[in-house]
Amino acid sequence: MPFLQKLKPAILALTVLSWLALLISTLLHTDAAMATRFGVLPDWVTLAAQATFAVGVFMYQRERPHPLRGTDFVGLLRRLLLGPGLLAAAGLGLHLLERLLQPATAASNPAFFAVAYTINVGLFVVFVAYTTYTWRSLVFFRASPTIRSNWLWFELLLGGTLLLRLLNWPLPAPLAYGMVGALAVFGIYLSSNQKWVAYLNRRQKWEAGFLQLSLLLCLTVGATYFLRIAQDPLLVAPKPQAAFLLLMAGLAAFYALMALLVTLFNLPTAGIFEQKREEILSLQRLSQLIQKGQDEQEVYDMLFDAAVETVEADAAWLDVDGEGREPVLSKSLNLRTEDISAIRSLLADYNLGHIEYLNNDLPNSSGFRDLDLRLGSLIVMPLRSAKRQYGSLYMLKEQTQGFDRENLGILQTFTTQTVLSIENLHLMASSLQNERVQEELKIASSVQDSLIPKNLPIDDWFEIGSHAAAAKEVGGDFYDFLHLPGKRLAILIGDVSGKGITAAFHMAQMKGIFHALMQENPLAKDDREKFPVPSKFMSMANRALTHCLEKSSFITAALYIIDYEHGGFVFARAGHCHTLYYHSIKEEVSYFHTAGLGLGIIRNDSYEKHIKNQFYDYNPGDVMVIYTDGIVEARGADQEEYGEDRLKQMLERNYYLEANEIKQQILHDLNEFSAGQPMHDDQTLLVIKFKTAQPEILS
Amino acid sequence: MKITQQSTENTLILSLDGELDASSSVLLDTELTKPEVLNYQKVLINCQRLNYISSAGLGVFISHLQQFQDADVKLIFFNMQEKVHNVFEILGLDALMTIVPSEAEATAI
Repeated sequence: MPFLQKLKPAILALTVLSWLALLISTLLHTDAAMATRFGVLPDWVTLAAQATFAVGVFMYQRERPHPLRGTDFVGLLRRLLLGPGLLAAAGLGLHLLERLLQPATAASNPAFFAVAYTINVGLFVVFVAYTTYTWRSLVFFRASPTIRSNWLWFELLLGGTLLLRLLNWPLPAPLAYGMVGALAVFGIYLSSNQKWVAYLNRRQKWEAGFLQLSLLLCLTVGATYFLRIAQDPLLVAPKPQAAFLLLMAGLAAFYALMALLVTLFNLPTAGIFEQKREEILSLQRLSQLIQKGQDEQEVYDMLFDAAVETVEADAAWLDVDGEGREPVLSKSLNLRTEDISAIRSLLADYNLGHIEYLNNDLPNSSGFRDLDLRLGSLIVMPLRSAKRQYGSLYMLKEQTQGFDRENLGILQTFTTQTVLSIENLHLMASSLQNERVQEELKIASSVQDSLIPKNLPIDDWFEIGSHAAAAKEVGGDFYDFLHLPGKRLAILIGDVSGKGITAAFHMAQMKGIFHALMQENPLAKDDREKFPVPSKFMSMANRALTHCLEKSSFITAALYIIDYEHGGFVFARAGHCHTLYYHSIKEEVSYFHTAGLGLGIIRNDSYEKHIKNQFYDYNPGDVMVIYTDGIVEARGADQEEYGEDRLKQMLERNYYLEANEIKQQILHDLNEFSAGQPMHDDQTLLVIKFKTAQPEILS
Repeated sequence: MKITQQSTENTLILSLDGELDASSSVLLDTELTKPEVLNYQKVLINCQRLNYISSAGLGVFISHLQQFQDADVKLIFFNMQEKVHNVFEILGLDALMTIVPSEAEATAI
């Protein structure tokens, strides 16, 4: 309430003034000498001053910030006791002592009495107000909005009752009792909603109880004081004031007693709360530690220690499932290895070794009785993820009924956390491994890249455009060129079945075979036999591959030997895609349909029967397109294949362009066709365009 | 890929349904690797519903080819779709394997 906040200085001033008024009126009442000099103020002035003072002190306390700092409940109570509590108790107690020791008849200084009394009234009201709002802080701790709004009603009822008493408005007896009763019930209700007690540990609860008891004693001193002082012959205060103060002391003592009882009744639960707290803390510790765990063993050790500590096990062990079927003992406590094996096999007999299992009465089972281990309770907690079992945790206690459902729950949380960490470690390891493999693949990819010729053969008789793309890091497609003596050029293209590393190996092998077989044979009788003709090359390659190609793999290849001196070429197709050709004389595009079996399909000499040479004399302007099946089998949006027909149409439309441009056009069309589709297979495309003869040869 | 089989005393008919690629060719390989397959005189492959065959699929047939020849088991394909037949032809397998248009012709062999 900001309005009241602004009023705070005014309230303070009013409170001090009203206390001074109270002092003056009491002095005038008590001290006859002064009364005769200044006259006596009427009773209502005293009562009004008292009421203003009480209301002022309460309002002031009410608007102070909540005195509770964090969850320092004991500190709050201590401040209350050592501050206003002790002060009030000392003031009231000393004056009470003085009054009790002094004979009633003995002469006394009425002025001193009046001042002491008024000071004590002030101290006591301040103390009670302070107590009330300390209590409010405690009641409000984690309180529901209902409690907060109920508090306002409680304040109104309390204030109303006290002020009615002070102003001495006669209420009918049942109503007065009703109000006091309602205040008592309210007090009990609010006391029962104190959540703060649960946050104390055992030591703090004792401390809080002691502080509350001390506060109760202070209030009792207050009550006794006002009870005694009301009958003091020296006091000539209005009766309602005494009744007001007594009622205030009584109610405050009642509430203090209630709070004390709440604390006392909560003492036995302190152990449980502390245990839960300990469990939560060790869970926290475990999860922090586990994240730091560098290897599995470390994580398992942490789990084991935390579990034993938390459930207070007398004996325990942890099995970790090893590579074999037998579990490996990771850690144990207070158990001999032979006992562990005995319990393990006993559990295995009942198939209980790998499931969550709680037995609180081991002596009742004959198997355990026979082991004579003096153990009463057992928990088996498997370490399990959705995918696999990592092991089992066994906790044992000497007494029967040693474990409860909560223990099972907490162990479950521990093991879940552990399994998560272990799996994390595994993931990390495998991602490292993966990275290494990726790195090696990158190297493989660059090695393979170096196997593909970068410098295309250049001569005035032809142009070559080439394109190669692998579906994965490494691929199974290959092509290569080799200049042979006598203006001849050998071109090899091929495709190893399958993709990836295996295919890449065979591709490299094929390149080696190509270079090995295309060596000049010094024993050859004539020039033609110096280099193998394509069909001969294929059957030799087939023989070479027989022993190193796995049974289900094969290689398709085509070897072209172009003799650009004589304007012709010879080729053999070993199961490879048909050659697409533009005949400039006929102005026609067609495929060379020749027979020929792939390499590695027949692994004996009968292969020779399945491979043929094809000769062709080319003309300037002819275009030859050679490619791998990754081109014609590329899929479009509706899973349709690019196909030989589309390729043929592309050449029909673009034959007049330069080799590189024809290649670009085909690739452009292909990419448009298979846009958005993943690349299924390696793609290789070579376009060779034959050109007119050189002028010098003509001359 | 679905493979259904149907057998008489000396003939085994495997009907292939779907695409025979790297993953599904494992299924076919398992079927053809079974030792009892070599007890038949003929193994007929119904290719009517075979829409696609990859090199891995071809590899399965190639890897069993020698074995079938050694055991004197005839491997006959029938009802082959045009584009699948084209794949066999390009690789030159049509010269090694018996490919006939219909089941009647396949059983008649």
